[in-house]
This record gives sequence, C-alpha cells and structure tokens, in this order.
Amino acid sequence: MAIPAGIAEGINTVWALVVAFLIFFMQPGFALLESGQVRAKNVGNVLMKNMTDWTVGVLAYFALGYGLSSVVASVTSGAALGTPFAYFGDPSGWVTWLVGAVFAMTAATIVSGAVAERMNFPAYVFVAVVMTAVVYPVTTGMTWGGGLLAVNANGPDGYIARVVGAGYLDFAGATVVHMLGGIAGLVGAWFVGPREGRFDAKGDSHPIPGHSMLLAVLGTLILAFGWYGFNVGTSAIFNGEGVLLSAQLGRVALNTTLGMGAGAVAAMLVSAYRQDKPDPLWTANGLLAGLVAVTGAVPHVTWLGGIVLGALGGALVLPTYRFVVDSLHVDDVCGVFAVHGMAGAVGTVLIPFFATSGFSTTQLVMQVVGVGVVAAWAVVGSGATFWLADLLFGLRVSPEEEEAGLDASEHGVAVYPEFTSGGSPDGQPVSADGGFPGGEGDD
Amino acid sequence: MTDAAIEMVVAYVRPDVLPAVKRAIANAGAPSLTVTKVSGRGSQPVKTEQWRGEEYTVDLHEKAKVECVVADVETETVVDAIADAARTGEKGDGKVFVLPVTTARQIRTGKTGPDAV
Repeated sequence: MAIPAGIAEGINTVWALVVAFLIFFMQPGFALLESGQVRAKNVGNVLMKNMTDWTVGVLAYFALGYGLSSVVASVTSGAALGTPFAYFGDPSGWVTWLVGAVFAMTAATIVSGAVAERMNFPAYVFVAVVMTAVVYPVTTGMTWGGGLLAVNANGPDGYIARVVGAGYLDFAGATVVHMLGGIAGLVGAWFVGPREGRFDAKGDSHPIPGHSMLLAVLGTLILAFGWYGFNVGTSAIFNGEGVLLSAQLGRVALNTTLGMGAGAVAAMLVSAYRQDKPDPLWTANGLLAGLVAVTGAVPHVTWLGGIVLGALGGALVLPTYRFVVDSLHVDDVCGVFAVHGMAGAVGTVLIPFFATSGFSTTQLVMQVVGVGVVAAWAVVGSGATFWLADLLFGLRVSPEEEEAGLDASEHGVAVYPEFTSGGSPDGQPVSADGGFPGGEGDD
Repeated sequence: MTDAAIEMVVAYVRPDVLPAVKRAIANAGAPSLTVTKVSGRGSQPVKTEQWRGEEYTVDLHEKAKVECVVADVETETVVDAIADAARTGEKGDGKVFVLPVTTARQIRTGKTGPDAV
C-alpha cells in the first residue's frame, strides 16, 4: 500500500530532522558522561572540548568535510567526480547535510573522553577540526558514500568491494562513527601520555576516581535516548515507492533496545564476577557498548543476534579496558576504546552469523576486511592528526598546569567555586602579608 | 556579665547517629547546636574504595561535628547524653571535647554572657 511520493518524502524529511535533533542530543550525553569521570578541577575543560567538537566541527564539516566525503567516494570507486561541493548552493540537500553533521560530531566528541585531564586545549581544537574535516569524511567516503568498501546500484562498486564481491555492512556507524572515534581516542591517549599519577615507576596503575558517578550514568542514559535517533533514524519511514518500511523500522528499534539491555546486563555480570559487586560505571559502559555493538547490525540481524552482539559488546568492556591499561599502559580516561572501539569491531564483524538473509562467507570476508580498513585508517588518520597537533601546538599541558587543573590553567574558571568573597572585583581583596593579589606587594 | 561558666561541647560522631545525638542533647535541656560535615582520622581502620575495579584507600572518615554551647545546664549531662547516643562500641564512634568559652553574645537581642546562650 503505497502513498503519494510527495507525502512520503515529506514524512521522511520530518523524520530526518527529528532524528538529527535526537542525535544532537547525544552531545549533552557525552558532556555529562565525560564530566562525571574526571576530577572536579577538569570539568570545565571537558565541557569546553565537548562544545568545541560540536561548534568548530559543524563549521569544518560544512566548509570541507561533507564535500571531501564525495571526493573520497569517487576516487576509491572510479566513479565520476561530479560536483562534490555543489551542496554550498543547494538548499534541498541541507537536511541531509545536517544528518551527516550530527554523525560526524558524534565521532569527534568520543575522542575527548580518552585524552581528558591533561591535553593542551589549542591542540585539541586542531584535532577536532581535522577529525571532522578530514578523518571522518574519508571514512564515510569509503563506506556510506559509495567508495572503497561499498556496492553501488548506480555506478561502479568500490575497488575492494569489487574484489571481495560484497558490500560492507555497517548500518548506522558501529565502525564508521564509533570504532573510528574509539580508536582515535586510544591513539590520542597514547600520544598525549598518561595523567600524572595514573602509573607508578613500575608501570602499575593507580586509580584516579572521577568526581561524579551520577553525572556519568545520567549522561549514559541521555546518550541511549539519542541513540534511538542514531540507529532507528538511519532507516527512512517510507521507501522510494512510498511503501512503509514497518518491518525494517521494527527490527531496528527492537535490536537497538535488546542490544542496549544485553550489553548492560553482561557488563554488570562481568563486573560482579571480577569485583564481587555489580558496578554502576561498568554497567553504564556496558549499556553503551551494547548499543555500539548492534549499531552496524540492527536491520541485518535477528533479534537473537541483537541480544548476542549487545551482550558480547558489554561483556568485553571490562577486559578490554584492563588490556588497554595493563598491557598497553595507555590512560584512556573514559574507556572509549573499550566502549566504542572494541564493541564496534566485534558487533560489525559478526553480523553474517546472525544475518536474517542467512550466513554468507563472502559477507564475513567483507566484514573482516571492512573493519580492518576502517581501523587502519583510524590509526593512520588520527595518528597523523595528533602527531601534527603535537608539532604545531604541543599536546601536553605543563605538570604545574595539570596539577592545578585545566579549569584554572587553561580556562581561568572554577566549575564548582567555593568561598567567593562577594562584592565587585573593585573591592580590594586583602591578604595577610599586607599586599593585594596582583598588586605591588604581590611577588 | 556574670561569672557563671560558659562551655562549648564539641563532639565528633558518626553521621548516622546524628538524629539520636540531636534528640539526646535536646532531652538534656540544651537544644541549640551547630553541625558541620567533617572528615577525620582516629582509631577507625582505613576504608577501601574502588574506581573501575582499581582499589584505593580512604583514611579520613566522614564524621558529623556537633558544637553545643552550654551555660545553665550541667556540661557533664550534655557530654553523657552525646556519648550514650553516639556509642556503637565499634572503632570510629568519635570523641567529645569540652572547651571554655570566654564570652557570648546573642546577636538579635544583644544579650551577653549565660543569658545569650
């Protein structure tokens, strides 16, 4: 039962806009999640980084990123280049641009959680720009844009897709967005080095507790809300013939929800086994990892697949985090590699085992190759970005600035001010040596 | 001003016994008090907490500091009331101190000495 094309297009457009707004709402989720996991003296810096990801990112993605994605797609598939930057003058394409932008900014904002509490702010802004203008668009160009890993109905397939004989399946970005962000975070945390006190001289790790588990868990649940836009919203409401995609929408919504549930339960059980008690932070991380794991798979797999993939993503969070800390000695503050990187890779590689269309070896090969290509690019692209940022700005704040906290040293603010003296700054503050701070007697 | 002694009873107690301590002080006839959240170290053993499964120790324990200025009630009565209400028998029950107070003034009325208390 089809509806007229104009109405279908209208509903799809409204849906795309609602979805874009939902995915935008993942930004406060990330801000809370990351703020809660750092010390109170660095909260303002985390918030600045999250705001910068979005605000600088949309400008960079508009100026270059969106068009670069089309360039990469044609270069890696041999398709005609066309006019990749025609969107500057085409209002009918701007809703699609917005949907692309909210995905791009999600990938960028994941990185800040890994490098929190010690990274130089200008260097971070540079990284955010390159992530959204180059690193992420190259990834989408190779995948969703119709490039290297994609099979195309109109035009030539990507070079690798031609060789393997299948298109890479990653529906809403388990690897294109999340694994990319997770690996970039890991690479960045390695470049920046661990926070002072995270490892002792022997290389043993020591905990640096975050200041609010409440914020971290609230942020997690806000992220999960936005994730419905991320996953379900990647499906249109009506297809090109005006037929309602009810089966696909239902499958995507169900698998998103089951993956989230299974991920949280699995992480809760693993944490209870490893630490004797179920841990809220691991459970929250597992909830997100479950979502990441099914993000590429939601329309392609059975509901059993949704549960198994989500559970695997959640169960792997704690062991992956331990591996990063104990074996790699990398200080990934918010565990973004465990939550976004590992879960995205595993959930996407395993899609063929739970495919509604049945198991296909060719597809499995393509999934392994695709995850490998995206991961390799993530390492190379983000590695080059952080290396360049170090060269241009210096990645690390000084030990004194780190000790004082980035809120004071990088931004001159206190997020939780105490004992303000009141009154206007004109009133001379008094200190016991008779001098005034900043005045002649202050040295 | 009179010569009647004014004394301040300062008690460090477990936060969870605070309601019982407040009731006991009131029953002893000294309802005015000030309570502050403090952290301190005494005989109570260090506590172990964890973040992402990595353990760290906390040797400063959360306590409630209760200050009660006493003039016309027997100081010993108030000290006994606090000690009885706060006692669990475990390490970390806290301590009670008594300090002399040289003067007192009630801000609203301007009364001084024991009348101000």
